[in-house]
Amino acid sequence: MMIVLGFVLRLALWLLLAPLLPGLINKVKAWVAGRRGPPVLQLYYDLARLWHKQVVMSTLASPAFIIGPAVAWVAVLAATLLVPLGPAGATLSFRGDVILMLYLLALARFATTWAAMETGSAFEGMGAAREVSFAVLAEAAMIAAMLTLAVQTGSVSLATMLAPSVGTSAVLLAAGLFTVLLVENCRVPFDDPATHLELTMIHEVMVLDHSGPPLAAILHGASLKLLLFAVLLTQAVLPMGTYSPAVAAAVLLTGVLVVTVGVGAVESLMARFSFRRVPLLLTTAVLLCVFALLVAWQGAA
Amino acid sequence: MRAGPWLVLALAALTLSAVAGRRWPRTWLVLIVAGGAAAAAASVLVLSGAPGWEWRGAFRIGGEALHLRLDALSAVFLALVGVLGGAGAVYAHGYWSDAQYPASAPRGRAWWSVLVLSMTLVLTLSNGLHFLVAWESFAIAAFFLITLDGGARAVRSAGWLYLAASHAGTLALFAFFALLSARTGSWDLGPMNAQAALAPLFWLALFGFGVKAGLFPLHVWLPSAHANAPSHVSAIMSGAAIKMGVYGILRFSGWLPVPNAAGWVVIGFGAVSALLGIAFAFAQGDLKRLLAYCSVENVGIILVGVGGAMLASTAGDAVWGRLLLAGALLHVWNHGLFKGLLFMGAGSVLHATGTRELSRLGGLWRRLPWTSLMFAVGVLAVAGLPPLNGFVSEWLVYLGLFDAVTSRGPSAWAAIFAALLLGTAGALALASFVKVGATVFLGAPRGPAAAKAHESGRAMLAPMGALAALCVTLGLAPTLAWPAIARGVAAWHPAWPATAAPLALQAIGGAQLALATLLIAGAIVAWHQWRGKLARRALTWDCGYAVPTARMQYSSASFAGIVTGWFRWILWPRLALRRPRGLLPARALRLERIPETVLELVIAPVGALFLQTASGARRLQHGSLQAYILYVVVALAALGAMVLEAGAR
Repeated sequence: MMIVLGFVLRLALWLLLAPLLPGLINKVKAWVAGRRGPPVLQLYYDLARLWHKQVVMSTLASPAFIIGPAVAWVAVLAATLLVPLGPAGATLSFRGDVILMLYLLALARFATTWAAMETGSAFEGMGAAREVSFAVLAEAAMIAAMLTLAVQTGSVSLATMLAPSVGTSAVLLAAGLFTVLLVENCRVPFDDPATHLELTMIHEVMVLDHSGPPLAAILHGASLKLLLFAVLLTQAVLPMGTYSPAVAAAVLLTGVLVVTVGVGAVESLMARFSFRRVPLLLTTAVLLCVFALLVAWQGAA
Repeated sequence: MRAGPWLVLALAALTLSAVAGRRWPRTWLVLIVAGGAAAAAASVLVLSGAPGWEWRGAFRIGGEALHLRLDALSAVFLALVGVLGGAGAVYAHGYWSDAQYPASAPRGRAWWSVLVLSMTLVLTLSNGLHFLVAWESFAIAAFFLITLDGGARAVRSAGWLYLAASHAGTLALFAFFALLSARTGSWDLGPMNAQAALAPLFWLALFGFGVKAGLFPLHVWLPSAHANAPSHVSAIMSGAAIKMGVYGILRFSGWLPVPNAAGWVVIGFGAVSALLGIAFAFAQGDLKRLLAYCSVENVGIILVGVGGAMLASTAGDAVWGRLLLAGALLHVWNHGLFKGLLFMGAGSVLHATGTRELSRLGGLWRRLPWTSLMFAVGVLAVAGLPPLNGFVSEWLVYLGLFDAVTSRGPSAWAAIFAALLLGTAGALALASFVKVGATVFLGAPRGPAAAKAHESGRAMLAPMGALAALCVTLGLAPTLAWPAIARGVAAWHPAWPATAAPLALQAIGGAQLALATLLIAGAIVAWHQWRGKLARRALTWDCGYAVPTARMQYSSASFAGIVTGWFRWILWPRLALRRPRGLLPARALRLERIPETVLELVIAPVGALFLQTASGARRLQHGSLQAYILYVVVALAALGAMVLEAGAR
């Protein structure tokens, strides 16, 4: 009974809190720009509205155009079930779950890009090509980051890997993971979620032809992924295992808030990078995570 | 039950099928499927715990007594050969039939039997001399199968390249077995780990078998051979034949002592193969060449596991070595199954459209629904995505590498390097197969060939369905395969006896099953719910552009453009560009070609230099008798001078 209750609680937390993050980011951006901005709950309204809308499908698209967003959403949701949620813990935890999490995110990427390619549109092809290409470097950074945590804790299960802090390498790891968060969630300076009619877009241009409930699934899945990365980043940097449950919950919530505000601040203060410089920044993220790994190696010796 | 009778049955059926192949296609099909099934049955028996089978014949061939042996390690590979040999034969029945290829189909059947038979013998013969004979007949059978369609120039040159590379490898193997027999005094093979002096011979074996396995940079023959061969041949070449190289490396690193550096070298080359193989694959514009390069990547993943296991066995038999080797062996199966499936799917596409060029395909899902569906299964598996089988074996390799890192021994550095490269290669594999799936099956047809395509017949779809079903089964129930894999590991290294499936593997099996259920449920619900809301079908919204054409779609080269740029240092993309000129431009052209870098920039110049030197030396032989007499006199005088000088000393 307790297990089922805990599962439902965690699921509800993930599903219900996720759409809050984009709203907060937009609020921060509006605040910095001196505007009032859309309500914090705007994404909830959008999702509700989209859910009742009808679907328009390209004449070229196969059923996978509709199924893709559903698969991507399920994959991200499954990945969230592996990430411990502070004192609430993870739904499923075993040795090697960290690799399953990375590959579930890859499955989500596969389904999104596949659905994008269904339309035969050059725009969506561009977006998909960028998404999968930038993910190459992001993946290397993620592996290095996870190796750092594994070296630090001597464990390959997320629940124990995320419990202690990484010590001196925490700063490096935080910077690396934050950059990965930005690219994986298609935020500035890699992508600009505010527009979708430019040739340099990634995520927004991939979902140009989606409408109605599938688009709602895509938007909700994207917010879920953002929350996942924020939770992961917070727990990787802070010594979660040393706090009492109540403090840990508060710390996790604050950490996620700080990360969210940080994303909003970056978006307010920076312009999108020119395309040539994106690989450079990504390589920097890989190097940051590799250096974090080396520092953790020295520190744990 | 004993495995021996099944193996004898398999050998007999395969031999008979080689005889029957030319005349009676149906008898051939029955015999070869029976032979493949019997070989697989023998392997399954050994892998499920029956004692290994060993048989020494009384009579001698070439002065050596016949010695057959089937242990768990060779059984892992033999099972794959049996499955792919049978499935490929059924596929060939529809794909390369007498009606379509009256000249080459009978030959193709006979050589197919010879190929499967010689691979079976390579896996079971336990005598160096006989091994070499079987190895050579395996190489030659593969050559005749690759050049089955001998009319095309590309096919012939691919065949010759394969033959030359294969013999370069065989030469190393000749040296290996000759030195081995000279040092041990016998051609008989078996465990001889105690003789430390044999260790340096491993390098010869690594080169010889590495050529066959397609290890980067020894892979030069592989892309053109696999691309130009008939598709059922590509399927067995990529699925099973290159695994013979992996088998050789495993067999002789298990039976012989290896140098200390061996593990480092193998894991290093494996990781580099994985990354560069898939980088080359992503940049290709030819469907089958892309799949061939992807095989280089997968052999790299397998060898990361093998090299890691070698490192672990020298580092005090660390437990993570067992995970790595289990991952490698499971990946041998998985890659054989999904790459066989993908090459058969590519054959279906080729059969339907007559082209392998990605830039002429597109939109085939409507006309080839079954092929598309099964190709999609293969794509998910090869990209290593859960919940299919490719993920399980890659996960085992990753888990072994992570454990090696947390153990913090010296091998941790190799493991960090390999894990980073594998992660990058995994993301590139995903990118490559999104590209393949999208440009072949999605969007609008890019040419008349793709627009008039037709679905393949049952003989071609059935084996693809069988391989896809095996991919799904191994993905959802990896614990089923574990006992077999664990026995293979124990046969390689007796210090790692077969145990029950690790808890983590059981967990991943459960997670895969749950995930598959969730995904299918989600897909069905989404399709039923959302299709009901379908307002209309409309033109793809190209930002307001009203008359899109198929040529406007993102092409294969543009999809890979960003990454091709990153790997420019090794890919050397060649660009032919004619810009549109004038007020009313008539023609514009942009052609990008990825050369075979290693072949064209390293091996071809060296070969040209060699030929030049050789033709220079040829001037000495010109047919003029007087000059020849002069050579003899000069040589005699030189000899005389040497003798006199030696006498004076």
